[in-house]
Amino acid sequence: MARVELPEETKRRIEAIGSVDVLIGVWGTVGRDGFYERAAQVIAELGETAQKIVFAFPGDTPPEQPPSAPDSTVVCLQYPSPSSGPAGELWIEAASAQRSILEIAALLNAGSCLVLNADLVALHVQSIQMLLYASVEKQCDLVTPIYPVGKYDGLINSGILSPLTRALYGRRVRYPLPFEFGVSARLSTRLALSARSGNQADRSLLWPATVAAIDAAPIGQVYLDVHHHVPTEGLELSVVLAQLVGSAFLEMEQYAAQWQRVRASQQTPTWGTPTPPPVSEEPIDAKPMIDSFLLGSKNLDEVWRLVLPPVTLLELKHLARQSPEQFRMPDTLWVKIVYDFALAHRLRTISRTHLLGALTPLYLGWVASYVREVSNMTHAAAEQRLEQLARAYEDNKPYLVSRWRWPDRFNP
Amino acid sequence: MQARQMTIGKPGSNPDPLWYKDAVIYELHVKAFADSNNDGIGDFQGLIQKLDYLQDLGVTCLWVLPFFPSPLRDDGYDISDYMNVNPSYGTIDDFRQFLDAAHERGLQVLIELVINHTSDQHPWFQRARHAPPGSPERDFYVWSGTDQKYQDARIIFTDTEKSNWTWDPVAQAYFWHRFFSHQPDLNYDNPLVMEEILKILRYWLDMGADGLRIDAIPYLVERDGTNCENLAETHAVIRAIRSAIDEGYANRMVLAEANQWPTDVRPYFGDGDECHMAFHFPLMPRIYMALRQEDRLPITDIMAQTPDIPDNCQWGLFLRNHDELTLEMVTDDERDYMYLAYSADPRMRINIGIRRRLAPLLDNNRRRIELLNSLLFSFPGTPILYYGDEIGMGDNIYLGDRNGVRTPMQWTADRNGGFSRSNPARLYSPLIMDPVWGYEAINVEAQQSDPSSLLNWMRNMIALRKLFQVFGRGSLRFLNPSNRKILAYARQLDGEQVLCVANLSRFAQPVQLDLAEFDGMVPVEMLGYVEFPAITKQPYPLTLAPYGFLWLELQPSREAPDLPAKTQDDHTFQVAGETDWESILTGDGVRRLENVLPEFLLRQRWFGGKSRTIRRTAVNDWAPFDEQRSALICISVDYDTGEADNYLMLLSMSFGPDAESIRSSPNQVLASVETMRDTGVLHDALQRRSSCTALLELLKSGGRIVTHAGVIEGSPDKKLAELCRDAGELPPRIAGAEQSNSSVLFDDRLIMKLFRRQQPGPNPDTEIGRFLAERSTFTNIAPFCGSIEYQPKGSEASTLAMLQGLVANEGDGWQWTLEELERYYEGCASSVFQAGARSGPAIRLGELTGWTVPPEVHEHAGLYLEAAGTLGRRTAELHQALAGSTDDPAFAPEPLTPEDLFRLRETAAARAVQALDALKANLATLPDDVVETAGLALGRRKLLLGHFRKNLQVADGGKRTRVHGDYHLGQVLRVKSDFVILDFEGEPARSLAERRAKHSPLKDVAGMLRSFSYAAYAALIKYTTRRPEDFHQLEPWARLWEISISAEFLRGYRQVPDHAAVCPQSAEDFDVLLETYLMDKALYELEYELNNRPAWIHIPLAGILSLPL
Repeated sequence: MARVELPEETKRRIEAIGSVDVLIGVWGTVGRDGFYERAAQVIAELGETAQKIVFAFPGDTPPEQPPSAPDSTVVCLQYPSPSSGPAGELWIEAASAQRSILEIAALLNAGSCLVLNADLVALHVQSIQMLLYASVEKQCDLVTPIYPVGKYDGLINSGILSPLTRALYGRRVRYPLPFEFGVSARLSTRLALSARSGNQADRSLLWPATVAAIDAAPIGQVYLDVHHHVPTEGLELSVVLAQLVGSAFLEMEQYAAQWQRVRASQQTPTWGTPTPPPVSEEPIDAKPMIDSFLLGSKNLDEVWRLVLPPVTLLELKHLARQSPEQFRMPDTLWVKIVYDFALAHRLRTISRTHLLGALTPLYLGWVASYVREVSNMTHAAAEQRLEQLARAYEDNKPYLVSRWRWPDRFNP
Repeated sequence: MQARQMTIGKPGSNPDPLWYKDAVIYELHVKAFADSNNDGIGDFQGLIQKLDYLQDLGVTCLWVLPFFPSPLRDDGYDISDYMNVNPSYGTIDDFRQFLDAAHERGLQVLIELVINHTSDQHPWFQRARHAPPGSPERDFYVWSGTDQKYQDARIIFTDTEKSNWTWDPVAQAYFWHRFFSHQPDLNYDNPLVMEEILKILRYWLDMGADGLRIDAIPYLVERDGTNCENLAETHAVIRAIRSAIDEGYANRMVLAEANQWPTDVRPYFGDGDECHMAFHFPLMPRIYMALRQEDRLPITDIMAQTPDIPDNCQWGLFLRNHDELTLEMVTDDERDYMYLAYSADPRMRINIGIRRRLAPLLDNNRRRIELLNSLLFSFPGTPILYYGDEIGMGDNIYLGDRNGVRTPMQWTADRNGGFSRSNPARLYSPLIMDPVWGYEAINVEAQQSDPSSLLNWMRNMIALRKLFQVFGRGSLRFLNPSNRKILAYARQLDGEQVLCVANLSRFAQPVQLDLAEFDGMVPVEMLGYVEFPAITKQPYPLTLAPYGFLWLELQPSREAPDLPAKTQDDHTFQVAGETDWESILTGDGVRRLENVLPEFLLRQRWFGGKSRTIRRTAVNDWAPFDEQRSALICISVDYDTGEADNYLMLLSMSFGPDAESIRSSPNQVLASVETMRDTGVLHDALQRRSSCTALLELLKSGGRIVTHAGVIEGSPDKKLAELCRDAGELPPRIAGAEQSNSSVLFDDRLIMKLFRRQQPGPNPDTEIGRFLAERSTFTNIAPFCGSIEYQPKGSEASTLAMLQGLVANEGDGWQWTLEELERYYEGCASSVFQAGARSGPAIRLGELTGWTVPPEVHEHAGLYLEAAGTLGRRTAELHQALAGSTDDPAFAPEPLTPEDLFRLRETAAARAVQALDALKANLATLPDDVVETAGLALGRRKLLLGHFRKNLQVADGGKRTRVHGDYHLGQVLRVKSDFVILDFEGEPARSLAERRAKHSPLKDVAGMLRSFSYAAYAALIKYTTRRPEDFHQLEPWARLWEISISAEFLRGYRQVPDHAAVCPQSAEDFDVLLETYLMDKALYELEYELNNRPAWIHIPLAGILSLPL
């Protein structure tokens, strides 16, 4: 397993600090002054604490004076910024920085480690307290957040990542690839080591919920009143989809022996109070997405035929004939498409880049179907609809297992 | 073992120390795989180009056949330079590059260590033949002035060699060779040879090789008067090699090539301190035999003869390899059958075997190929594939030696099968070119593009096997369906359970499986993930297609919880350090410990509650010892039914390299422990030397440990000081044969037995040991040296451990008897059994008194007759000693009253009913050859019950005294020409009160007589393994031996003048009482064998039928 290499200077500083109770680390580029300010605010609001807390944030310059703190045990520690990759590699950079934080946590023997997004919106006393509550009081090895998002937000997560993780690993985690999370000392070390070996080592994402589920570690969720703005300008959907879904498929390959043993799923204990999502959401025009799907069904037909079985292709043909008003992609169809793409990814039926590119119009077809279906629904009803999709992932898991174990192309 | 735990070595490419258990090994020739430089010979660069193919196939370890410089007169097994690469295959840098490339792809590499012999071109041999006799250089090899030494060693290559000696005109002496005459054997009596071999070994391991296959391992050392195979000196060499590996390296593997019977191969695993793996040679021909005969028996029979191996060891399984399909490990009849079945053309035969590949052997029948591979992948062991068999390559029987199965790999339909671009005439071997098997029809490229090809099937099966660790690490248990064309077996590992069912017939077959033990579970067909109907207590019906097989994963029903109640969290304890027992044994820690204990207990041989369902465990008391590094823990175990048990546990925590080493014995590990800086394991404390030594010190010093709820106290006996006089350090080691207790040996002086199952009250072993030592003059016991007692507050004390002097011996009575019997049968095999020599089915005990031992028995078993008499005398003396005290109520003899006799009669009758009912219920599942005998026994039901009810009427039954209680040949040691009697614990499964109860001494006498019967038949089964048809011819001899030995034993027993003080006075009463005990014991054995070893059932059945009613 690849292990994050920290600079010697950082290691020396860590050694000087000794062990700590809590490490709060921020991943992604952050301004030092802004960070100090927010950290100082958190420290002040936490008040007198017997806990030794260390903050870590990325930066290449040596740290100056730490922010004034009511408790002298609070110190700040910088770690090297992750190298900036091509545009759109947000999650790859994030994983690299997250591993650095976890490595620091392991070296500091931190009892708990909170990993926060660089936009610092979660560097707030309520969020910190919620994450620490589940981590320390409830002894969860992993704490993931539930964000107050609108029904049209985060659909790669809602339509693929979250239900796929749930069906595979048996834990109902709403955000398996979270912007922030809390981990125990044990899981810090485990996650820091979880990078794949070989060429993929530097490019693999960090899936804390997957690793925790594989280890049968206690997982908790907390509601965080945090809104992240993810810049999408200049980002190709196909690139993001390839990055996130491709990584999830790689995880599937790595943990095949484990997830094939898991049946059904477990509820994840959740603490806190849900924050209402944005009140009014602009309706989304599904027409361009349907057009992309139809274009894909013409141009990518040959690729889809290599990946999908005849009955799925037939259903897609029927779907392509539907009017935009009637356009509905059944859950089972969508789930089987995801599963068949996962299998083709494992078998390298075609190049993985092309494969994941060919998934994009299908994904847009699902999104179009979903947004039409939930356009008149309340947020809660839309959540129920996603729950129904997640159950379809679980119900069709035997299909995935059978295809995975005996990937015969001669199938229905 | 202990020394290894303290070292850390250069790691191999796989971080798992037991990686070889989950491996799929691929055997290949460099020369035959791929030629990169177009010289007609495969090379390492060619192999590197094909690594992606191998990775895609899914194999995990490459076994590379010899690639060293060599004259190649035995396909590279005649090495002339161990530290280099044959130039035809590349350079040492090419090998390094190959090694790195393989490791990058997650493939381990296994290379050859041919250390029995070298080529005669090796500089060592050239130097030796010119060196003066007796010089170290000359002594690198085995020389003799005569070719008459080691005459008992067989010739292996019978087709080419007439002697194991060859005259060397330069040396003017004969040199020894077990194989070809150009392969002189190295001389391991010369320490310089070992030094050189270790240099070679380190050279390749330093480079990164993950494993070494040690060729021809049984033949390393020669001794006159032996067959020069499997000698103790050879094992010493292997242990030295293993020790060198463990000292310098981690996660490496040694694979033994020992073409021997499983019982003879077993010692090559040692106590887990010799080889990690060994091939299972006899299984392979029997798989082919079972397939051709459409009968599972050859397979189940050889697996029944396969002994258990240490936890860190593994069998290597294969269908074919680079040699002939060897038929050395079959009987003559079986060999003839195999020749007829699989080698119609005599050219297919070589030495003692058949030189053909897998697909041609099976007439290219795809279903048969798949069936055999399904067995290979699902049997307990690591599968080894031979290159080309994954695409069903053919062979060429017109090539010499075994070269017909060593032809170039067939990659494409292009020139030279894609193997090489050279001129075809330049190839090291012609390709297979006929229309059926030729490279144009069978090649990788074609099969890669054919979704239904054998190659794709193999790839899927390998991937599937790798998903289930149970195949590599789980236990195996055969089911016995009445249709013998069906082979069915269950594999289990922790919670994972897989049922495999195979149809050996060319026609569809029905079968009903008894799966009652899996009641409620749902079988899920593993290839297609298809759910089958749930299992009930009723027979489970299945139909299998011709040569069909099913792998069924047994899953809990949907209603069951999805995840086990215990979590990973329970398996990991956060501690401050290795002495922080509070974190584990108090508060939340102890709750979690109690959660994980049941699963740990079920993995322990000493745990006797395996057949019951554990409801809960509880830690009742504990105390640290060994400077806090270990803890003594008393636990209670509650079951769903029956009484709770108490057990003694000893736990330690280890970190770092020690922990890594202990992880390689997973059964000893209870959980993980984590400190802020390190992770480690919580494990059985006997794995730690200091813990064992601390226990000894506690006993020696009479020390005390105050526990939370009592006191633990050492109690030394005066004998201990005497035995420890002049003793320095007494290094401890765990005795290999762990049963219901655990034993630790301290050097060659002392043995400490830890009583795992704790029962309040005096332990009979300690009690009798102390009594005999202090109150009698009987000396034929192991010297009693003391005990460790546990006194809980407000409850009766119990014994935790007993210390005895170690007795130098020639083995236990059972083993020694089996060896003597082997000689006896050897002698009898050529003699015709005289009908006059009576050994009929039933003989009255009274007749034994006057039994005249026939001269044939005197001739073939004279030594044992004498020994039996001695043992009889010692047994009587023991009984005399046990009855020698009248003032100790625990030992004072009491009269055997009519009420006692009544109870004995009723108990025996009840057991008879129970055993015969069980026999009747299991009749359909018994092997065919014992059904008739079982029927005869069942036919005697009324007579048996009547016998107990009517005949147990004796005028004087003698006395009730303390007896041994579990007396048989395994409880005595052969010491010079005498015996030492051991183990007075009684049957561990019984309660303490039952084990301390007084009985007629004839109970022990009956136990020993039954043990003679067991020995006679066990040795006969072993002796006739290779020629089962001899069984019936030799059986009368077995019976004759049993009668004669029993007569001598009884004669010896009665010779002791005072035996009559405790035994019935009259001969008639003596016989009636003894017959009752004998019958009772045989019925007990019948029930035991029905539940545990159905293949042995005919032994108690013969015992039941042999007694006149």
